[in-house]
Amino acid sequence: MELRKVSIRQAAEAVNSGEVSAHQLIEETLNNCSVLNEGLNIFTHIAGIDALEQAKAIDRKIEKGEKLPLAGLPVAVKDDICYGVLPTSFGSTAFKEFISPYTATAVEKLMDAGAIVIGKTNLDDMSLGSSTASSPFGPTVNPWNTEYTASSAGAAAVATGVCMLVLESDCGGALRQGASHCGVFGLRPTRGRVSRYGLNTYSSSFGQVGITAISGENIIGALEIISGFDGKDASTAVCKDRPTGKNNVPDFEDLRIGCPAAAFDHLEPELREEYEKARQVYADQGLQFIDLDLSLLSEALQAYYVIVLAESSSNHSRFDGIRFGAAEEAGNLEELYCKSRGAILGREGRRRSIFGTLLLRKGNYDLYYRQALRIWNLVRREFTNALTYCDLLMLPAVKTLPRLSAAEPDFLDSWSDDLFCAPVSLSGLPALSLPAGQLQGIPVGLQLVGRPFSEEILVTVADRVVREVKFFPYGNS
Amino acid sequence: MINMTEAGQGLDKAIKVTKIDVALPEQEELERELHDFLQWLKPMLAVDTTGAEQVLNGLDTVNVMREDHVRQGNLAELQEAAPDFAGGFYMVPPIIE
Repeated sequence: MELRKVSIRQAAEAVNSGEVSAHQLIEETLNNCSVLNEGLNIFTHIAGIDALEQAKAIDRKIEKGEKLPLAGLPVAVKDDICYGVLPTSFGSTAFKEFISPYTATAVEKLMDAGAIVIGKTNLDDMSLGSSTASSPFGPTVNPWNTEYTASSAGAAAVATGVCMLVLESDCGGALRQGASHCGVFGLRPTRGRVSRYGLNTYSSSFGQVGITAISGENIIGALEIISGFDGKDASTAVCKDRPTGKNNVPDFEDLRIGCPAAAFDHLEPELREEYEKARQVYADQGLQFIDLDLSLLSEALQAYYVIVLAESSSNHSRFDGIRFGAAEEAGNLEELYCKSRGAILGREGRRRSIFGTLLLRKGNYDLYYRQALRIWNLVRREFTNALTYCDLLMLPAVKTLPRLSAAEPDFLDSWSDDLFCAPVSLSGLPALSLPAGQLQGIPVGLQLVGRPFSEEILVTVADRVVREVKFFPYGNS
Repeated sequence: MINMTEAGQGLDKAIKVTKIDVALPEQEELERELHDFLQWLKPMLAVDTTGAEQVLNGLDTVNVMREDHVRQGNLAELQEAAPDFAGGFYMVPPIIE
């Protein structure tokens, strides 16, 4: 079965009906993983016997007449989300062999539905980035052009067809930018929709668990399974009863899409041209565009970085060689902390912790941190106001093509890559990255942003437009 | 208005507070990066945020609170459930010898 060509519903049906066994599917997938990983560096860990044993267990359930919505389907999990069977490195060599004593709620829900975790996907140093360029395990190579990074290993895994779904973290847009650069779909759900229990995030305010898949249909199928209140995460909303059915999607002709034209001025002319073409295709489908002003995009990005630096300085303080991470040889306690933290955190982690601490110092706290929190408020207002007269917002997903695999980007250039995604993270709204075109053989994605808990609308619009205009880079599946 | 020099001078202290061993070449690099970073933040400082509250929680959810008033329970029932009751106090066996 070619996983890129079927939906999760069709694939699960094939397993549930006995057309193909879960064991057969997983065995074949694991073989493909090993081959692909040599060239693309997608996985930090690949499951072996455990995944095959789980597949056998699924087959036994099916023999007994049980039907599972994700029966035997191969999925992967980004390596900052805990899974109690494989190591969870958090993107640090210090935790390369760390096995979490528990599994994240979202992963558990997928497994309860019959999915099988085939591996953990690569990520930046402590997940601090949107390119995998700073990964201590080396960058993930873009399957479309091996000179470039994939930005997200999960997106590369889906694009190559080795798994049907990947659960990934998204703070400032790693998931959405990765989906864009690999020509797949990536959803950052409404804040509170999916449990964050088991997600090791540097930012308590913005880190979320999202889904990467080959189609919007697969995303919504997975979202229905993993969303809902979780007693282990007080920030989850009771949203199982919220409507997700297709009945809630307005007619295309009634949909108004807000598009901040000025935002596109930040793009290189070639990239801008791709986006303009995509926008025209949406207009040809009958969608109405409303020009709007999101005046604070750049300032929102800066505020985002002040907040996440402050939060990562606090969240990463536990990696001290005593609570977490290996202790270095030292003559006294102070030295042990300093040496161990210096070794556990990579260059980006050290930079963020130090700058974050500095921003929270007396004097800087009011000047930078409080100002950033107020801007957060203004940004939320801007997005909320725009969605009172628009049904959706359309933004670019990326500012540039992905990084060259060999390049070590300037840190501010890297942070600026989040220009279109980080402000959406501040808004707390759901955002879907979807294929919109290609530039120099690399896919380019758009970002649709909706009202809270309107993921079904985002996905339905995206699936229809992508299907009808053949943006889908793998054929009109 | 932003005082770049003061913020930059805080780097040494921040490194100390963060408890991270940073080699001298990296520290010099961090000084340059900090300067660039603070320059990069300047537009954010210029935003007029008058009247904007700080966001302290990214969620719009609020606590569901019940009305705070005294309810008349059945005292006799509660006393019966306790191991012992004397002088207005519920008596329980000691748990630490």
